[in-house]
Amino acid sequence: MTAVLPIPVIQVFQVLTIALGAPGVSGVISRVEARLQGRRGPRVLQPYYDLAKLFRKEALAPEGASWVFLAAPLAAFTCYLTVPLLIPVLTTYGLPLGYMGDILGGGFILSLASFLVAVAALETGSPYAQLGASRAKTFAAITEPVVLFVVFTVALITGTDLPYALAATVRSSAGQIIRPAHVLAAAALFMVILYETGRIPVETHTGTNEFGMIEEARPFEHSGPYFALLKWGSAAKQLILYTILMNVFIAPWGLASSAQAGAVLLAIVALLAKASALGVAVAVIDNSFAKLRLFKITEFASAAFLLAVLGVFTLYLGGG
Amino acid sequence: MLPAQAPGAYTGGANVIAVLILLAEFGMFRQALLRDQIRLYMAQSGLISVLAVIVGAARHLPELYVLAGLAAALKVVAIPLLLRRLLRGTDLAEGPAGGADIAGSGGLSLASTILVAIVVAAFGFFAAGALGIRAVAAPVTALSVSVSVVLVAFVVMIHRRDVASQAIGLFSLENGISLAALVLAAGLPLILEVALLFDLLVAVVVFGLLIRLHHLTGLRQGRAESLSTADLTSLRG
Repeated sequence: MTAVLPIPVIQVFQVLTIALGAPGVSGVISRVEARLQGRRGPRVLQPYYDLAKLFRKEALAPEGASWVFLAAPLAAFTCYLTVPLLIPVLTTYGLPLGYMGDILGGGFILSLASFLVAVAALETGSPYAQLGASRAKTFAAITEPVVLFVVFTVALITGTDLPYALAATVRSSAGQIIRPAHVLAAAALFMVILYETGRIPVETHTGTNEFGMIEEARPFEHSGPYFALLKWGSAAKQLILYTILMNVFIAPWGLASSAQAGAVLLAIVALLAKASALGVAVAVIDNSFAKLRLFKITEFASAAFLLAVLGVFTLYLGGG
Repeated sequence: MLPAQAPGAYTGGANVIAVLILLAEFGMFRQALLRDQIRLYMAQSGLISVLAVIVGAARHLPELYVLAGLAAALKVVAIPLLLRRLLRGTDLAEGPAGGADIAGSGGLSLASTILVAIVVAAFGFFAAGALGIRAVAAPVTALSVSVSVVLVAFVVMIHRRDVASQAIGLFSLENGISLAALVLAAGLPLILEVALLFDLLVAVVVFGLLIRLHHLTGLRQGRAESLSTADLTSLRG
């Protein structure tokens, strides 16, 4: 295969990979999780069937909810599909739109999406949705400093905070991977991802226990296609965060370094494989730890903060 | 701007282990069971031994292997065994259900204590960095980390109320000092290093006595199985 793809097509492929691959990765995680618990588990493709089913259902809105309630899922999903333009999903070289924003820009878009979903949850007047929205915002404020310090670490290592630059730096030598600052920042980011995707030390992902819910409680009042968009969006967010961790921090290999169709295809497969591998690790964590009590989440966040801060310290002294 | 220069494999590896030792020190805040804290101390001491082997291999100092073996035998096997034996009579060995004193001092919440410890560790980092020590083969970061380990161990000892937990805090403080010794003076004569290790044994014996004594006074006063140092205030003149 020597066909060379036009650059805009690759850019579109980045978004499509995230959008279409995300439910699959969620399916892999729930399948592995079920197997680890000795259950048969749902099919890997089950999330796609769920989405298809939801898209066929009718949509209802609570009385008194304004247009924000219905617009939020669409807007949030748009946000989630914007971020893949900014991060190295498939290629080692920056695509034209890749320099629109840095890591902070991507972070802002993700928090905008989360803010919109929270506003929609507040619109409903349902206590559980509001509780979820309020908790999500409270704990997001605690994990925000961790993300900032991770970005500082990246900035100190590379001199810029473009994700492409860090991925290139990590790829440049093995020494970049075992430097303590990098290890610490990656670990801190992983903890933040566990929080952001609502995984076990913070939240039960599939439970129906409303009292422990944070992220999962927010779309309680949405239904039909809107609910499908929210579910799809949170799966896409999960894959985006996994992509950032894998393609920027831990394993930025397997990316296409040219516009060859074969290389890009390989990069798509590699990304999904890497994300699934990370998903398996997350499923193992899901099965080996208990959910933290709500007030212990600050301890989880402070541990992540500790890792990120130590990363900056070691770098600042020049030895990290 | 060019990417920052990555440290070499030896420096990077040594620094990662040093940072892991510091993280183990921070982990001691989190452990609610004494059993787990002892296990964490074993892990931390094991890391020191691994670092000794790495430094010995990188700088061709065969006596460091002996030191690593001795330190592992003493700190990973002997001291934890001794501590467990000392605690067998007390309820602390069974966890917080029996001995409620293992929790923190109650002055600050755990998350706040960790923030305080981060500030203290930062002070240690930058204080050591300001010294401007530039050893030939020594990773400077590891030295700063060792100062932080010592300071954070102090915070652990302040945060905890029971004698046993404070003892482990003190022993892990010694781990920080071993780390500094490894980084700064890897070529220290073996006899001195061994003397340091025996110093540690003396500390263990002293703390063992304290635990025993405390336990017995507690029993005599009818307050069985308390190792809280809060009780010591009543010993005043």
